[in-house]
Amino acid sequence: MRGRFFALLALACLAVTACGTGGGSQQTTSGPKHGDTLKVAIGIDPDTLDPAGQTTTTASQIVDMMTETLVTIDEKGALKPLLATKWDQSSDGLTYTFTLRQNVKFSDGAPFNAQAVKFSIDRLLSPNTFRAQPGILGGKTGIDHVDVVDDSHVKFTLKTKLAPFVAALTQTQSAIISPASVNVAPNRPDLITQPVGTGPYKFGERLAADHITLNANKDYWGTKANYDTQVYKIVPEPATREALVKSGGADVMVLPPASDIPALQSDSSLKVILGPSDRTIQIIINTQGTVQPLLQKAEVRQALNYAVDKTAIIKSVMFGMAVPLDAPMSKSLFGYCPVGSSYNYDPAKAKSMLQAAGAAGMTVKMVAPTGRYVQDFQVAQAVAGYLRDAGLNVQGPATTDWPTYLSTYVNVPPSQSRIDLSLLGWAPPYLDAQQQFEQFYSARIPPAGLETSYYKNPEIDALIEKANAGTDPAQRQKDYCDAAKTVWKEAPWIFLYNQRFPFVTTAKVTNVVGLPNEKFVTTWASPA
Amino acid sequence: MRRLLVAIPTLLGVATVVFLLMRLLPGDPAVVIAGPEATAADVDRIRHQLGLTLPFWQQYLSFLGRLSHADLGISIRTGAPVIQEIFTRVPFTATLAFISLLLAILIGVTAGVIAATRRNSTMDVSISGGAVFGASMPTYWLGLMLIILFAVHLRVLPAGGSDRGPISVVLPAITLALFSTGLIARQTRSAMLEVLGQDFVRTARAKGAARTAVLIRHALRNALLPIVTVIGLQFGTLLGGAVLTETIFAWPGVGRLLVDSIGSRDYPVVQGVVLLLSVSFIAINLITDLLYAYVDPRIRYG
Repeated sequence: MRGRFFALLALACLAVTACGTGGGSQQTTSGPKHGDTLKVAIGIDPDTLDPAGQTTTTASQIVDMMTETLVTIDEKGALKPLLATKWDQSSDGLTYTFTLRQNVKFSDGAPFNAQAVKFSIDRLLSPNTFRAQPGILGGKTGIDHVDVVDDSHVKFTLKTKLAPFVAALTQTQSAIISPASVNVAPNRPDLITQPVGTGPYKFGERLAADHITLNANKDYWGTKANYDTQVYKIVPEPATREALVKSGGADVMVLPPASDIPALQSDSSLKVILGPSDRTIQIIINTQGTVQPLLQKAEVRQALNYAVDKTAIIKSVMFGMAVPLDAPMSKSLFGYCPVGSSYNYDPAKAKSMLQAAGAAGMTVKMVAPTGRYVQDFQVAQAVAGYLRDAGLNVQGPATTDWPTYLSTYVNVPPSQSRIDLSLLGWAPPYLDAQQQFEQFYSARIPPAGLETSYYKNPEIDALIEKANAGTDPAQRQKDYCDAAKTVWKEAPWIFLYNQRFPFVTTAKVTNVVGLPNEKFVTTWASPA
Repeated sequence: MRRLLVAIPTLLGVATVVFLLMRLLPGDPAVVIAGPEATAADVDRIRHQLGLTLPFWQQYLSFLGRLSHADLGISIRTGAPVIQEIFTRVPFTATLAFISLLLAILIGVTAGVIAATRRNSTMDVSISGGAVFGASMPTYWLGLMLIILFAVHLRVLPAGGSDRGPISVVLPAITLALFSTGLIARQTRSAMLEVLGQDFVRTARAKGAARTAVLIRHALRNALLPIVTVIGLQFGTLLGGAVLTETIFAWPGVGRLLVDSIGSRDYPVVQGVVLLLSVSFIAINLITDLLYAYVDPRIRYG
């Protein structure tokens, strides 16, 4: 009954406007209101709260509430200063100097300064840090070393020119932590379980697989949070999350059951928000034709694109939770441009193209994961139906769980591939086309990466390499755009859609914001 | 004592089978953990940190070596010791399983006795029907229906989670208990019917013993043996059923840990949980055997 108690308390607080007792929240009648506890139901139990080890957006957004990065993104995906106020790039593109925000303290009272930045980044790059994921910030091409210039300036030196470097610093992995906190139990230098950062919330408590509680940081340097406490409840079953929101046990839930979205949208006590996402969902085509040689022909792959009615799939299988692709990447990426042509559903054209290419009635083997993406297997079944309508002999789609799928169908070199078509999603975490093009860059063909279409075009490879190292944003934009146009025409994928990331709040909560990297930020939520 | 010693090779066998099964499953933990968008360098470093680059037999030997001094290793998913991962969850699963078993015994045995004494009455038919219904309902469906009824419409019980005190356990316990209740009721009914037709019951009635005394002290006591067997076996079913029930009701127990760990190919935790479940199952069987001797003094273990 505690949920309802708090809801009543919150209501009572609203009635008596002077409820911000003792806390730092000064409220006006028009500004955001102060609230007691916000309960958020999420589907996964975060594997780790260590910023350096982050791999999933839902865990990352919780860590983001406690720790902050130098740079962040706004709702549109554009870069925005956070702990750094500005940054300068050297003319050779190899060093970046960041000016740090002044008068910021970690929640343990220690000052935020250049030493803390160096400590956190060194820790991220250290091979001793458990499961650290520096991504492109590490490795042979990333950061070489970090220097403290003075208290408020820090200099990053890179091994090679890396155009999306600043964008990559928006990732939670590069968040700045209080150096002293790694030695405070239960934290260890190699593994943090209770992160201490500069964020608007502080770690409260955690019960594995049950909940994570965060308390507002009363000494936060910026605008203070509106809820004193936020509780992230771990509820794996979507229908149970939905029941919790409907019954007052939670105020926000992520990923409702897809088929319930229309009903939830018509419920006036709830708000369904189709958050943005940069995740593209596609059917990867084995372009080297190691199983079905006809797929080596671009015309055949284009025909597959014409054969599938993406709009109908979005409407009937995705319940509207997607937008069709008009480029081999989502609109929110740097480097996106609409490619100008489309693969509108045209079954007659698809059939005649297949006929002309000698591919009428060819056999294709298809697979899709279950439970990894919204309606993944169901969408694959629909695609298979359209391909059968076009006269193809589709075997499958077969399906497996995600770990099996990854190792059996995705992370497989061309010579060992056993399939022609596989459903996959791809979501660049720092919104730069560089990472989307990992899917078309032949140096990433498994086992070196997950370029599972085995697409190989030297011209595209050269464009990608040039754009990845470019220092002029306008030129990079043009290079990615040119590459995208060729990729679109050569169709290593059946381009399906850009998935949306749905979440639901009760009408009593406002200002839960979806970011293009699939985070639904509750940090600044307030009672409606 | 000999029975305890016999348990050791059993456990070793279980440990080996689990070790092999997990590694025969396709799926590379490092790739799963790092996520598809990770760089190959990150994946390699993680694989190395997790000791997955070692040859198969070396992993097995170090697993057995650690096991010999009760060290189950470190969770691949969280980095915490497996023992710690398991023991924060055990109280939740133990509570759930215990309450469910209690419910199942109370309701199941009572219903079975009632059905047996009123054989072929409307009451018997409805109890037997209910028992078949209970034993054949899919947990998933039933759990969601209970949530919709009691949490969303009536709003008297929480939909999930463990944060609302004792009432949190009501729905998961009922859901989990239903299958066992049905089975226990049916077993009780048939055991009672067999006993009720025997001479000593007629003798007891003839000497003028009270109806309930005949039922409880004479009939039920003698019908207990098969019932105790079923109850003992049910405990294993309950532990297994906890996997689904805990998922539906967001109950932070061992079953959820198992699901999460298989999903991320967290070998050490899966091995640890399966070992723990095997130990509990062996222990329950042992207790059941001892109970036989108590229930039927003719049974003695030398």
